[in-house]
Amino acid sequence: MIQIKGLSFLYNDSKEPALNNINLQIGEGEFVGIVGPTGAGKSTLALCLNGVIPHFLHGEFYGEVKVDGKDTVENDCARIAYSVGSVFQDPEAQIVSTRVEDEIAFGLENLNIPRIEIAARIKESLEMTGISDLRDYSTTQLSGGQKQRVAIASAIALRPKILVLDEPTSELDPKGSLDIFNTLQKLNKEYSITIVVIEQKIQLLTEYCSRLVVMEKGSVLLDGPTRNVLANQEILQKIGVNSSPVTRLAYMLKKEGLYQGEFPINVEEAYLVVSKVLSEKRR
Amino acid sequence: MPAMVEYIQTDSFFHRLNPITKILWTFAVLIISFLFNSPIPILVILLSNLLIALASGIIKQVLPMMKALFIFSFILILCQIFFVDEGKTLFYAIPYFNIGKVTDAGLNMSLVMSFRMVATVSTIPILMMTTPMTDMVVVLVEKLKIPFKYAFMFITALRFIPTLMGEIEQIMQAQMSRGYNSDTRNPFKKMVIVIPLAIPLLVSSIKKTEKMAISMEARGFASGPRSYFRKIVMGKADYAALVLLLTAILSPALL
Repeated sequence: MIQIKGLSFLYNDSKEPALNNINLQIGEGEFVGIVGPTGAGKSTLALCLNGVIPHFLHGEFYGEVKVDGKDTVENDCARIAYSVGSVFQDPEAQIVSTRVEDEIAFGLENLNIPRIEIAARIKESLEMTGISDLRDYSTTQLSGGQKQRVAIASAIALRPKILVLDEPTSELDPKGSLDIFNTLQKLNKEYSITIVVIEQKIQLLTEYCSRLVVMEKGSVLLDGPTRNVLANQEILQKIGVNSSPVTRLAYMLKKEGLYQGEFPINVEEAYLVVSKVLSEKRR
Repeated sequence: MPAMVEYIQTDSFFHRLNPITKILWTFAVLIISFLFNSPIPILVILLSNLLIALASGIIKQVLPMMKALFIFSFILILCQIFFVDEGKTLFYAIPYFNIGKVTDAGLNMSLVMSFRMVATVSTIPILMMTTPMTDMVVVLVEKLKIPFKYAFMFITALRFIPTLMGEIEQIMQAQMSRGYNSDTRNPFKKMVIVIPLAIPLLVSSIKKTEKMAISMEARGFASGPRSYFRKIVMGKADYAALVLLLTAILSPALL
């Protein structure tokens, strides 16, 4: 679904490349989380996927990015928008309309989709994101989490196969963040939309994503199934990616030689690990 | 802090009118106010504006604006009323020294000017408060053939008012928590005080604009011909209102 080959990018007026020889293949229906310290090039990578780079933000672009079979250099943003939906960090800055309905219609109107079709698509994407009750709301009335879900609805109204989200929960409270990830999970499982999400809250990523990509200084450092990536605790801690408390707990137990096995990804699994260790100790 | 002219959702007769009818109404008020040269008919128009605001359920928001407009127009009156020499002298502002002569012609002219100003300007917030911006854009682009980019610029500017208000509040609190005193009644001091607020606001709004542009770009903005979700039609009420407006414009000619 996404093929990135030897991608390097250098922003104008910048000496250090933001991306340095990235190679990444993401298949259909994957739920991929991208983590990494600030300045690792995560956002730049997201902008390369939706064609904003190189069409809107300029710089030196090397390599090849293909989304849904479309080369991002040969196709303009509008054509890529049919395949890749984008959601950004700031809920305030990506909402252009004053009514929820109009916000979802915005992309459809831009692509000259007929009126009747727009009405059907609005209904569909509101249902998919579970916010049908917000349809007649004014966008200024919404909470941050609701705004982000409207942004997601607006992105999927174009029926993209891929959804790219750049830190969608960074300005949200824990409840709002959870809502977003539940929505993403639903879109991934029920509608098999490929999801690529950049996120600082590693706990959410470990619980929801099947695959993790760790970036540092414009390169991909680690890439693989979530548990396998989490096993590289030394590297993660060295580059300043904090793991969730349950992962750290398991890592400490492993270091003490008390536990061998897979890394837990949530509290339930951690409970099993700890009770196993305790029962072995007792014996 | 709510923005000055935000759309207020209620289900009133005036809300349901076609935006074009309402735009024509603002022009009709303008034309009629200039056709008359005595204060009473213009006052009647002014009252009709208030009546529309009352019927639309936005009188609470409109009254303070009217008040502000009247204060402004009173200042305008003071600036010119003493300079009219024609007509009968009614009284002097400072009686014993015969300074500040007020004539009937002067009073008449000032009242006409003042009512005219308030009547014509107050239609704009009434229009804005009763018409959703998206509807306005649809008629501006589809009926009045204004390029979409300009219409879009206009609505985004309005859309950003509450956002920027929130931003100002935040910056102000940040500055105040570091001991910055922004509390003064002196307007000149206030101007100086605003500068440290204006620069961060400018920087953050430029950043916001860029983010918004990227988000719009990712949804195919300005990629070619555009369709519109909302459809706005002229109803019976619109034609009735247009007939009413036309008679109102023609009536001074008949009188």
